Amino acid sequence: MTKALREDTPVPADVPALKLTNISKSFGPVTAVDNVSLEIPRNQVIGLIGENGAGKSTLLKILTGLHEPDSGVMEVAGSPVRFRRPQDAAAAGFGVVHQEQSLLTNLSVAENIAMNALSSKDNATKGGWYRWGQLNREAETILAKVGAKIDPRSIVGDISFVDRQMVEIARALRVDELTNATPIVILDEPTSVLERDETAILEREIKLLKNIGSVVFVPHRLDEVLRICDRIIVMRHGKVVADRPTGDVTEDELFQLMIGHAARASKSHAAERDGAVEPLMQVSGLTRKGEYKNVDLTVRPGHCVAIVGTLGSGRESLVRAMFGAEPFDSGSLSYRGKQLGSWSAAQATRSGIAYVPAERKTEGMVGGMTAAENLVLARTGKSGLLVNKRKQKKLAQEWFGKLDTRPNNPSLHLSRFSGGNQQKVVMAKWLQSETLQLMILDHPLRGLDPGAAETVNDQIRAARDGGTAVILLADTLEEALDMGDDILVMRDGEVTARFDLSVDTPTSLDLLEKMV
Amino acid sequence: MTVGNQVLTASPGETQRTPSRRRFEYKRLGELGALVALILVFTLLNPGAFLTMLNVRTILDQAAIPLVVGVGATLVVLMGSIDLSVEGVMGAAGMTFVLLSANSRDTMDLGLWAIVIAVGLGAFLGLCSGLIHTLLKVPSFIVTLGMWFVGLGLATVLFGTDQIPFLPDGDLKAWPNTLTLGLPNSAWLAAVVVLLGVVVTRFTRLGRFTYAVGNNEEVARSNGIPVGRQKILIFVVAGGCSALAGVLASLRLGAGSATVGIGILFLTIAAVVIGGTSLGGGKGGMMRTTLGVILLTVLNNGLILSGVSSNIQSGVSGAVLIVAILAAAWPLRSRLRIVK
Repeated sequence: MTKALREDTPVPADVPALKLTNISKSFGPVTAVDNVSLEIPRNQVIGLIGENGAGKSTLLKILTGLHEPDSGVMEVAGSPVRFRRPQDAAAAGFGVVHQEQSLLTNLSVAENIAMNALSSKDNATKGGWYRWGQLNREAETILAKVGAKIDPRSIVGDISFVDRQMVEIARALRVDELTNATPIVILDEPTSVLERDETAILEREIKLLKNIGSVVFVPHRLDEVLRICDRIIVMRHGKVVADRPTGDVTEDELFQLMIGHAARASKSHAAERDGAVEPLMQVSGLTRKGEYKNVDLTVRPGHCVAIVGTLGSGRESLVRAMFGAEPFDSGSLSYRGKQLGSWSAAQATRSGIAYVPAERKTEGMVGGMTAAENLVLARTGKSGLLVNKRKQKKLAQEWFGKLDTRPNNPSLHLSRFSGGNQQKVVMAKWLQSETLQLMILDHPLRGLDPGAAETVNDQIRAARDGGTAVILLADTLEEALDMGDDILVMRDGEVTARFDLSVDTPTSLDLLEKMV
Repeated sequence: MTVGNQVLTASPGETQRTPSRRRFEYKRLGELGALVALILVFTLLNPGAFLTMLNVRTILDQAAIPLVVGVGATLVVLMGSIDLSVEGVMGAAGMTFVLLSANSRDTMDLGLWAIVIAVGLGAFLGLCSGLIHTLLKVPSFIVTLGMWFVGLGLATVLFGTDQIPFLPDGDLKAWPNTLTLGLPNSAWLAAVVVLLGVVVTRFTRLGRFTYAVGNNEEVARSNGIPVGRQKILIFVVAGGCSALAGVLASLRLGAGSATVGIGILFLTIAAVVIGGTSLGGGKGGMMRTTLGVILLTVLNNGLILSGVSSNIQSGVSGAVLIVAILAAAWPLRSRLRIVK
């Protein structure tokens, strides 16, 4: 230690603001963060990148006290810490802008900015009493810091998404006014809803932040990370695979590090399948404000369209609209050559469209009913008033065999099955229908082990080869390249690329470039 | 709604704020308009009977109990929960109050302490509801439905098989209807409670967190709000409000009765909703509930004066509730894809 220590900071300057040693976190069988060790130096901006599901979000949740790690040590300014609640993280100087908006839409901007402080100590709300004048003035000061012209008295629900994001950022900045600790500001894709000039304001602000603390920045686009960050940490499959100074890497290298390998050649597809068949479903100019705009898409029988994109690309919302589960603002849908006026999930189901949602537990199944009952739940065309128990049992047994579902007992409650086997039952529910025309699969392999994933994929292929059209929102780019006949790439609600795999042979890299 | 009610001051953001303010005021006008229309209609139907000082006093006196209950109910509904235990708590607290005051059955006379103990009992029942709701994760609907009958049971046990406990004639019994500055004391009491409610919802952490929890529990929690403690506190306050209303109702009845709160639950929940507080939580406020209570009281009073039979009255009240909910939910109907 050569430099004299400042009296108010009894920590040597070379001690990192944050140090993680062997941090792990699992959710059931899935290890989201796997033995991660890293250091965040003081007064630096660190970029954190990785594919969807690489473990970035879980790591950030650990840093902000929303998840407790299963094992490992966290040190802030040299002393070990444990965050049990978000307040603990806030007290240690962590401020965060989450990917999802975390504002209370019925309260005012000022209240939201003060929120973390409200539950602890703050002059404007000392003793549980609100001093509105002071609260608003404090908020005004912080908003001015981020260059936002927002009235702190306005209700968050009434202001635009861009302004809300500025409020979120202002709120994260508040941390340095509350605690004596060196702030660590975590920005999880803060620019995803911002326009170009607002992004510029944010980049300027992040550089200012460096003077008072450290920043962990998860970029929405890869070029941002190269512009803003001092160092870049790359995660893949829950592990840190690279930690490089920004000057030492190129955008291409980062792509490679993120996906792990040069993309392998995609397997040959059934290009000979008749491309001239009548389209089953046609989407033209479909738009929903804030989700997707002007999307054109054609789905043919016997073809699989894979849609790829990051969170916020709007692809989930798009397919839900196609299934009639969500409204859209403009554009049109046609099905079997007929223009659709009103469209609902019930009509879609009757017309032979199946939807396997990503939220299996909340949308795809009824856990309190037996597997056999779940199998016959969807009303697909044929309607009978009574349930034929014997037929139901026979059907269930047949599908349990086909999909190798374990335990092989259809009369168990579905909630007792493992995730993979639940998914098989959910798939079978639709596959058994004789009127099935189109399957919309939203992350069908999520949470499945490789064996179960292969069984499910085989069923999807079999259905496709039998003439069913498939729309697939894949978990990984490999899955999309493996299953799709056509690939649609979306970014920020717009289609940025289309690949016909019978002609094109894109690599994961090509897709990724269009995604971020 | 605090923010929306603050005085406009010149500030850079004023222009972008105007639309939200206007919408808010406009909605409030609808309910005020309905009230004015009702008053006009009943005045025309009953010239010389409806819009008299005597009848205004009657209306305010009748509104007092639902107003006191409504303050607690509004807080609970703002959180997205519901408190159905109102009538049970009123019965238990009212009976406790009568038995602990000078009455015709026993020699116990704790004076004003009887009120304190009765309100304390209500708060305790609210505490039980809150604890069961948050710790055991039972929906508030079920917990408070149970607590309703626990309260009624408690009141019935206290009532026993002896003769009915009457309050002696005197100052205490006459208090609610005694006039102060031209208005009955019961109305003044209600006004004080409503005022307290307004202050709590606008200027205290307790009140603001209530809105936060009602908006989105998950987000509230991630913002560091102790959601469980908040809910328990609100149920305690609501229990206290119901108990105070029970005391007031017992004073007016002049005797102990387990069913002293009969009919109040529907009236208050209806008033909260008609006032425009969303049953989903997060939107609404005390003044809205006050408006709702006055609206329903005027309606009932006017119907009686106009000679409508009491059988039809309850039907009319129900229909008004449904129409009010329809009107409130109309702009949202396409977005409400799930209605439970």
